[in-house]
Amino acid sequence: MNSTIRSLAFGLTPAVMLIVGCGPTPPAFFRPNMVEAISPTPEKDSISADQALLPAQQQQVATIMLAMFGTPDDPVCLPETGLDPAKLRLAAGPVRSDIVGRKNGLYREHCVHCHGITGDGLGPTAAFLNPYPRDYRPGVFKYKSTERSDKPTHADLVRILHKGIPGTSMPSFALLSPIEVDALVEYVTYLSIRGETELALMRQFFELDDEDEGKLPETQEFLIAEVLEPIAEKWAVAADAEIEVPEMPTGIELAESIAKGRELFFGDKANCVKCHGVTALGDGQANDYDDWSKNIVKIEARLSGLAKSDADAAERQWAAEFGQVLSGDALKPRTIPPRNLRHGIYRGGRRPLDLYYRIHAGINGAPMPAAKGTVDPEDIWHIVNYVRSLPYGLDGELGADRTMAMRPPTPAGLASTEED
Amino acid sequence: MKRLGGIFWGLLFLAVPVLGVATFAIAPSIDVWLPKDVSVHGREIDALFYFILALTGVVFIATELLLFWFIWKYDAAARGDEKATYIQGSHTLEVVWTIVPAATLLFLAIYQMNAWANVKMRRPDMPPTVEVVARQFEWRLRYPGRDGMLGTPDDLHLVNDLHLPVDEDILVQLKSMDVLHSFFLPNLRIKQDAVPGMKIPVWFKATETGSWDIVCAELCGWGHYKMKGRVTFVSRPEFDSWLVRKYAEQEATQPAPEPSGTLVTN
Amino acid sequence: MSTVTAPVTIGQDHVPVRKPHPVLTFLSTYVFSKDHKVIGLQFLFSTLVWFLIGGLLALAVRWQVAWPWSDVPVVGKLFAQEGGQMAPEFYTMLFTMHATVMIFLVIIPILAGAFGNFLIPLMIGADDMAFPTLNMLGYWFMWPAFIAFGASFFVEGGAASGGWTSYPPLSTNIAASPGAGWGQTLWLLGLTFVGVSSMLGSVNYMTTIILMRAPGMTMFRLPMTIWAMFITAILQAFALPVLTAAGFMQLADRMFATGFFSPEGSIINNAVAGPGGGQPLLWQHLFWFYSHPAVYIMILPAMGMVSDILTCFARKPLFGYRPMVYSVAGIAGLGFIVWGHHMFMSGMNPALGITFMVSTMMIALPSAVKTFNWLGTVWGGKIQFTTSMLFALSFVSMFIIGGLSGIFMAATPVDIFIHDTYFIVAHFHYVLFAGTAMGVWAAIYFWFPKMFGRTMNEFWGKVHFFLTFIFLNGTFFTMHILGAVGFPRRLADAYHYETFHHLQPMNAFMTYCAMGMVACQVVFAINFFWSMFYGPVAGRNPWNANGLEWTAPSPPGHGNFDFQPVVYRGPYEYSVPGVEKDHLMQTDPPNVAAAAAAATHH
Repeated sequence: MNSTIRSLAFGLTPAVMLIVGCGPTPPAFFRPNMVEAISPTPEKDSISADQALLPAQQQQVATIMLAMFGTPDDPVCLPETGLDPAKLRLAAGPVRSDIVGRKNGLYREHCVHCHGITGDGLGPTAAFLNPYPRDYRPGVFKYKSTERSDKPTHADLVRILHKGIPGTSMPSFALLSPIEVDALVEYVTYLSIRGETELALMRQFFELDDEDEGKLPETQEFLIAEVLEPIAEKWAVAADAEIEVPEMPTGIELAESIAKGRELFFGDKANCVKCHGVTALGDGQANDYDDWSKNIVKIEARLSGLAKSDADAAERQWAAEFGQVLSGDALKPRTIPPRNLRHGIYRGGRRPLDLYYRIHAGINGAPMPAAKGTVDPEDIWHIVNYVRSLPYGLDGELGADRTMAMRPPTPAGLASTEED
Repeated sequence: MKRLGGIFWGLLFLAVPVLGVATFAIAPSIDVWLPKDVSVHGREIDALFYFILALTGVVFIATELLLFWFIWKYDAAARGDEKATYIQGSHTLEVVWTIVPAATLLFLAIYQMNAWANVKMRRPDMPPTVEVVARQFEWRLRYPGRDGMLGTPDDLHLVNDLHLPVDEDILVQLKSMDVLHSFFLPNLRIKQDAVPGMKIPVWFKATETGSWDIVCAELCGWGHYKMKGRVTFVSRPEFDSWLVRKYAEQEATQPAPEPSGTLVTN
Repeated sequence: MSTVTAPVTIGQDHVPVRKPHPVLTFLSTYVFSKDHKVIGLQFLFSTLVWFLIGGLLALAVRWQVAWPWSDVPVVGKLFAQEGGQMAPEFYTMLFTMHATVMIFLVIIPILAGAFGNFLIPLMIGADDMAFPTLNMLGYWFMWPAFIAFGASFFVEGGAASGGWTSYPPLSTNIAASPGAGWGQTLWLLGLTFVGVSSMLGSVNYMTTIILMRAPGMTMFRLPMTIWAMFITAILQAFALPVLTAAGFMQLADRMFATGFFSPEGSIINNAVAGPGGGQPLLWQHLFWFYSHPAVYIMILPAMGMVSDILTCFARKPLFGYRPMVYSVAGIAGLGFIVWGHHMFMSGMNPALGITFMVSTMMIALPSAVKTFNWLGTVWGGKIQFTTSMLFALSFVSMFIIGGLSGIFMAATPVDIFIHDTYFIVAHFHYVLFAGTAMGVWAAIYFWFPKMFGRTMNEFWGKVHFFLTFIFLNGTFFTMHILGAVGFPRRLADAYHYETFHHLQPMNAFMTYCAMGMVACQVVFAINFFWSMFYGPVAGRNPWNANGLEWTAPSPPGHGNFDFQPVVYRGPYEYSVPGVEKDHLMQTDPPNVAAAAAAATHH
């Protein structure tokens, strides 16, 4: 009898282990923006406990989001977003092959492990990357052909997928088919609109009257017309809002243009050297953050301030809890160094046109300011020519100056002025 | 009934050469075989592969059949009271089966030296056609441009999409920006690790136009599988005009007009 | 413990005097035992547990290869938000740790640590190892390694993820991969401890085999198991220091900002990578200088044990005993001059591609000689199809495949194509799993009665063999043709490439076979533990084998033999003509009269 029981135990133990461990994982789910939920205001340096959304309010936002946007497996595509549901279906869902060689789950196949299932830049790989992958939720994109605070056009995002972002971990997806690229861009736009809507909804709690009793109205009129449509509108008009780029000035030698550009680089109007440094190595100033990190830095500063101040116990308790949320839901802030222009690696693209866009409109989300208004369009071209000459050391005295203390490092894969 | 052991286990061991040969015989017809070779030296490499396959195939079949036969025949149950053959060895056999394999293997080694030298030692005397810099997780390409020199402003910079002229000697200058990668062109039978800190020449000549894979063949991190590139061989005039077109795109000062329905390509 | 200090030679009448037994506590009997048999069993149990862990890691790898980005069972819970699909860096960690665990925590310790320890004194007629305390330390040095490797799964960044080959700069630089942080440091520490443990064992084995053989046990009367263990121990002693040194250099690169392996000017993940001045190729040379002999360390003992098992169950002498010994020595010797064949594509001087091709081709020779001799051993035999024999026969059959596939790789021009493809994966899984692991199971079924005093169940053993044989071939044989396609190793998602799309069904088939293979080990596990307590009692010599170990009680007590073994002949005197029994044990006297005469001398 003993031996039978023993043999049963031997046999059953692994079986039980397998059963407990096995079983399908629940379907993928969007992560709510907890950092925003606890500090639903743009002014992150003055947040306090009484601003934080109550669990019931968080739940309401989650419910509304589910109804308006669906799940990662099953996206909802409201017509007001201006998005194409067929494309979304190609990109959404778990990875599997469809017929005719087209695949569903494109986003999960190519993007999710960096950009996260929610498009929050919090995928499993994200913490190990430098720079961090983009968080789409604020709707801010850096490399585009529109003015600083405008959305990128569809073509801008396609270009990013095609070229990748050199110097970062964002690869080139040029070898995907145009249909697949299109579907991914559509899905990224969807995630961005979704993120912005979530932000807007959370911030709406401040606009409530007392009679709303701390709940958002769940009417078409409010949700669609007041919250969603303004967001979608910005995306829709982007295509028509490309920057007008004048022709490159003719009738001037390249060398002369470069010299002019150098003057402007060092001059007061553009003042590029303030950040990029006199050697253009990006060593002018290095203590600033991009917008995503800046938020976290401000919050962290505020929290540590609260912890030390004579705020009441409840406030301090809230600060501690929020600290927990931050460590789980946000990446450690990193300073953003100004670009080393001697590398010849241009994240937003190396065409003269791309550099024109960067200088004219600045970089949205980053400290790079817009030169529009301060510098003439023609002069921007001169700066572009100067910048493009920098990797080759053709910038006159600085390039030829061998006694310079800091020579630019010549990374293994890049242009070298010496004989190879 | 007693005999069953030798039969049953014999058949199991017989399955090894039978299914083994069957797998290799069927593989080409289900497209699980050497990819199409479009290079000049690839022929030699494939020929060597087949030669070794034939040689090892013969040895495989012979030894596995012998093993099967011995298992089948020398089942203890079948031998009854007979004793096993008491033999310590055979000097003659030892000599034969030492010298014959040794000579064969040595012959194989020497026979292949030329093929190796062609691919890895006899570098053509020419400037690099393109510089390939491997990086986590892409292939950065740089063509010298009109002045024929790498590292000047007229260079063409591209990513992952390598175009080359067909029927011409190509010299690739292979580098790495960060960690080890490996430049693998399956359809040209080319593979060379890209080592940071080293500049390694890779040369080949394609015999056919078409687009083929570039695969990274040395673990380089989480994105090792994503380092997909494409090498496209076109005629020389097409290549030249492609270079001109790409350079113009690179130097664009105005946004490219977008034809409806298609997207901006590399 | 023996007090023999002088070498014992033939004809010497000196009988070793045993020290009186010290008082033993529970700890010193079962935990910190200095008895080689207990230590051998400690190694056996520990390595079998890690075998299971390594196998489960392999299943996770196979799952991803067959169905990339799908919901992985069990593991998927870690990635619940993404619906259970694993992250790509997790995949790199899986195959890295699968290989690391299998090589350093399973194969090497089970061959040398478990079987070497258990069998050497018994087979040479000694009552324990030359250095019992050292032996005990050799086992306990494995525990820091177990803890280091085990803990590495839970540190920030996860376990090492740069491949078991750990090539820098990927493995040395935290910016290059997440596992290159704490995971890699723990990996290097674990490796160092395994190395120390192996070194202690190797010194012990060499000394014991040279100095503590029973009277009459000349070198050329040693069973092949002992020859193999002996030569393996020499291999360990010469090769390990290089790996240890390389490991320290890599640790220094990571912790003290030295630049042994980092070249100047690298930018990894936008971080400037260290002071530079080093070469990634240096690591490869140092690593493979050890790791190539290591692969012979991982097969020679199995070859030796298989030789002993084949002769016993074919009831025939080993065909070509001396050539077999010379072949083992030849494999070991040549094994030191072939390491460059792992580096043909590495960027080292291409002229070395020629020299290493020649030496690598030649190393196939002694293995071929051994294979022919095994066939010669089976020919004309009287084969008993015990489980152990079946595993031993399958070792021969599978080793032929593994060995022949090696010739493709030795051919440098062909290696251009198949390097880092599944052809290589097929080759080493055939020699290591279909070869060595089958040899290990053969050895377990064979020496189980000696270890535990009971035999394992033959029927379930054959079921275990049959299923394992079928599933392993289903898993690994088609990897050869995958390699011929150029299907690369270590890809988290090969179907990124259209050219490999059509290979997904084949990969799914292989994964199902792999799952079957791991599942049927349950049969073995149950048989193993059950038989330990409830199997039929075995006598001293259930298989009627010749070796000295079969003259001792089952299991042997402290001091191993209850009489002084004296050896009169080699280990393979089966079916001797003119002798009624079909086996003459090594200790059987030449004839009764001589036995009586010998007895009066003592």
